[in-house]
Amino acid sequence: MIVALSRRLHARPLWVRAALLAAGLVAVFGLPWVLYPPVAADILCWGLFAVAFDLLLGHAGLLSFGHAAFWGSSAYATGLIAIHSGLPFYVAVLGGAVAAAVIALPIGWLAVRRSGIYFAMVTLAFAQLIYFTANQWGSVTGGENGLQNIPRDLPGVDLTDSFVYYYYALPVVLLGLLAAWRIVHSPFGRVAAGIRDNPARVRALGYSADRYKVVVFVASAFLSGLAGGLYAMNHGFASLQEVYWTTSGKVVVMTVLGGIGTLWGSLVGAAAVVRLEDWLSTSGFEQTQLVTGGIFIAVVLLFRRGVWGTVSHLLRRRDDPAGEDPEPGLVHDHEEETATEPVSASAP
Amino acid sequence: MKRRLVSTFAAVAAGTLLAGCGGGGPSSGGGKISDDKIVLGVLTDLSGVYADLAGANSVAAVEMAVADFRKKYGDKAVTDDIEVIKADHQNKPEIANTQAKEMYERRKADALFDVPTSSAALAVQTVAGQVKKLYFNTGAATTELAGKTCNPYTYAYAYDAYMLAQGTGAAVAKQGGKNWYTIYPDYAFGQDMQKKFSAAVTGAGGKIVAGDPTPFPADNYSTFLLKAKAMKPKPDILGALQAGGDLANVVKQYEQFKLKDAGIGLAIGLLFDSDIKAIGADKLAGTSFTTAWYWSLDDEAKAWADRFKDKTGVRPTFVQAADYSAATRYLEAVQQAGTDKAEDVSKKLDGAEFNDFFARNATIRAEDHRVVHDAYLVKVKDPAKATEAEDYTEPVKTIPAAEAFDAPSPDCSMS
Repeated sequence: MIVALSRRLHARPLWVRAALLAAGLVAVFGLPWVLYPPVAADILCWGLFAVAFDLLLGHAGLLSFGHAAFWGSSAYATGLIAIHSGLPFYVAVLGGAVAAAVIALPIGWLAVRRSGIYFAMVTLAFAQLIYFTANQWGSVTGGENGLQNIPRDLPGVDLTDSFVYYYYALPVVLLGLLAAWRIVHSPFGRVAAGIRDNPARVRALGYSADRYKVVVFVASAFLSGLAGGLYAMNHGFASLQEVYWTTSGKVVVMTVLGGIGTLWGSLVGAAAVVRLEDWLSTSGFEQTQLVTGGIFIAVVLLFRRGVWGTVSHLLRRRDDPAGEDPEPGLVHDHEEETATEPVSASAP
Repeated sequence: MKRRLVSTFAAVAAGTLLAGCGGGGPSSGGGKISDDKIVLGVLTDLSGVYADLAGANSVAAVEMAVADFRKKYGDKAVTDDIEVIKADHQNKPEIANTQAKEMYERRKADALFDVPTSSAALAVQTVAGQVKKLYFNTGAATTELAGKTCNPYTYAYAYDAYMLAQGTGAAVAKQGGKNWYTIYPDYAFGQDMQKKFSAAVTGAGGKIVAGDPTPFPADNYSTFLLKAKAMKPKPDILGALQAGGDLANVVKQYEQFKLKDAGIGLAIGLLFDSDIKAIGADKLAGTSFTTAWYWSLDDEAKAWADRFKDKTGVRPTFVQAADYSAATRYLEAVQQAGTDKAEDVSKKLDGAEFNDFFARNATIRAEDHRVVHDAYLVKVKDPAKATEAEDYTEPVKTIPAAEAFDAPSPDCSMS
């Protein structure tokens, strides 16, 4: 195992990773020049959402089917803060993300007691609970009408142009991505990965698996909340769609398309889905979901590692034909050596 | 090594460049007519419960207005490049919000028309205010368009909940329908209708004994219909404040559950010709309702309706007629102003008094952008007396413009 890992370490030398990072940054900074700015900002938001989701699915092995709850409750919370307080939009978005994390805590605490399909169902049930709450609590959320006219304030800056907004939202997204990356590559992230692969052994080492899962769940919800808040700001609007189960489904599609457990692959998946939907709807084709669904099936059947996973797998195999060929869905970006000793015996 | 770098680069860029380039960066202005052409956008329901009362035939109505404008001005027209574009908002506010932005910014629409579904209509109003472009709503009934949420770019053109309630609510209550049980779709339109009907019925000496919100859109109303039957004391009137496809469901189920035999009359808040066709004129014969316009109103209206039928194969609803009227008003104002800049066009519109086949004794109120005009209290005609299959309407009385619409709302501030 260690040999295979060190081989992979060689597969991506530092300069390649630096080049990748630079290319990625060029892509995100150039995006609103090539794309219609609101769509570019949508890609940012969905990208962060998908990465947050992959943090949970790919790196802790928990398939949540209720992530719209956090994206959507943050969209509403962000909107309400912005409408009623007039605070700068960063504060509103942060408030929304905190609200999402607060909601995630009890949900996660209950849901991590189950795994697999039961975990997915419990999260879906809670998300639907939030959907109906938002629908019925019309005096606050606007019910079917949605929360309209969310202002985008920042003292001294006119953010009405989506092009300008993009560059003010970008740092938040980059910080969110950095946080996700940091979590995955920390001792904490290693333990989470260990829980995913072999919970019994991690428990035997003295970790509280459930507590780790709850923390990852809440962190993922917080990042999803950041994304949802920025999305609400982008559209000046929060609606029931944001808390509906189809939104939970969409983020699953993005992550699977990009490649589960690849983190950055989720960004590619999100960009592909948003761009495709936009392209289909502007070309007058109404059955958007038919096409995204078809592509999803093709990817699941033919490229089980997703776009990113497949590309990096092919590259590695070319350099190292004898290398280990891990199962699809368990391809992880662990270039560094695994932490062999527990960093902290007690859970955080 | 070099090849690998290239391929990893490609992987990163894959998502962003997936489908090539889209629109450019910040938009540009210029000229008296922006982009040298006028673009009229019809944002409507092309596939859902309101597709018949508005939908593709609203697009046809706006196209007719453009064709007539071209014919009238010929070479003297401010531009000969006038385009009509359409989009489907699926009656959802979030889609309306995105589509409206898309139409104004990327597809360069100068004005939007139609927009049924009040929640979607309010979402579009927000966008019109943000991008500072005109918006003529003909499809939505909420009074908030010219009330709490009013802005200088939005015109509420055809009708509103106040007009419907004052006409129908008061008339039915005066005929003896004192105790009402109302059911209304749970979104901006229904909520506003409920308020306005309560006021109108109470004002005419009646009473709303109960009112229930229903999901929107919905297929099954049995819960509410059974409740109406079981209520004690029994209500005189079931006030169905749904619209379009939803209303058709309510009325059909009202028949199935035999509420009429149980002595509960039916009052309908908003009824379009397309609904009468869907429900059946025989089932509705004698039902009174309020309308902003009907095609058999007089010869002028009939002449236009004939041309409309030649183009589309059906008679127009009042929303479609209003679309033509609004598009014509807009194009005339652009012609007068010599520019399609929203503020200048709106100066030509505000305060204007006019008459056309749709709007009689009409004024475009400058203070709230409500277009006031005569409305009509009518009855569904007995099919035996109809002159043709789509002749559904029998006049009862004309409601003069000043009574048909409420005074400007104090909640509206244009600045």
